[in-house]
Amino acid sequence: MATERELSDFLKSVEKRAFKRSVYHVRDEEAALDIVQESMMKLAEHYGDKPPAELPMLFQRILSNCTLDWFRRQKTRNALFSNMSDFESSSDDGDFDLLETYTALENSQQSESAEDATRRAQVLQEIEAQIQNLPTRQREAFLMRYWEDMDVAETAAAMGCSEGSVKTHCSRAVQALSKALKAKGLQP
Amino acid sequence: MNSISPAMALARQDQFGRRIAARLDAGADELPHDITERLRAARVQALARRQVGLQAAQTVSASAGQATLTGDEHVSLWRRLASVLPLLVLAAGLVTIHVIQNERRASEVAEVDAAILTDELPPAAYADPGFVQFLKSDR
Repeated sequence: MATERELSDFLKSVEKRAFKRSVYHVRDEEAALDIVQESMMKLAEHYGDKPPAELPMLFQRILSNCTLDWFRRQKTRNALFSNMSDFESSSDDGDFDLLETYTALENSQQSESAEDATRRAQVLQEIEAQIQNLPTRQREAFLMRYWEDMDVAETAAAMGCSEGSVKTHCSRAVQALSKALKAKGLQP
Repeated sequence: MNSISPAMALARQDQFGRRIAARLDAGADELPHDITERLRAARVQALARRQVGLQAAQTVSASAGQATLTGDEHVSLWRRLASVLPLLVLAAGLVTIHVIQNERRASEVAEVDAAILTDELPPAAYADPGFVQFLKSDR
């Protein structure tokens, strides 16, 4: 049975990734915070007495279910109206990038590091945008497999599908991301 | 011309995935302060909820243990009877419906028979050889 300390450490280790993953899915920070909080509470309340080794898998399942529940609630709530945040472009920050580059060029002392930082931010922004554009199952499989560092069997169990499906989803996700980043002249 | 083995392709895929994951990690580490604070608050709330969950589980197991230890057979017997009661009511209902339907059908047939028997016989019937035969055989 996980102690309170172990559970706390576990939640601390996953909360940021869980939040970002939820944002990629629902594209709404407030909703993502709610989903992560609900998932944490469910894990703590219903599975707080489970061994620490079982917590990651349980949490992934709970997080996926809470996200699905959120989508279901949204569907019933907005049966007639589209969610406007779905149409928000996350890559319309061209002016900001130019300004950053300009400031970096002005300041010759720090030009290299500022340029690097801008480049890094740009790559991250693009990666996040492309991840958001992936089909749901591909995104889920890819993030669990590589970001949560789960193996194929664990990912399959958490997603409730076969290992073959996980491999296919991951492969397609990698191909799509690689192609999209190459097209923009970026490298991860 | 571009022939790479499946193992190599998989290795490249894994490598790419991990590079992306490293980028995402860096992004997650730079979350705004208000978000990290709200996540922390959510974590604290979840841990408090764990206590409630554990206490509830203990209460349930304790009451279950008490019930088995004291072995209150009367309660369990009444519960068993209560669970069987709806089935009994259903069976009784079905039997009642069957009896009522039978009676109704029988009374309908009896009414028709009575109507035929009490009705006046048309004169042509007496000339019918079949009817004469019927009257004879009835004797």
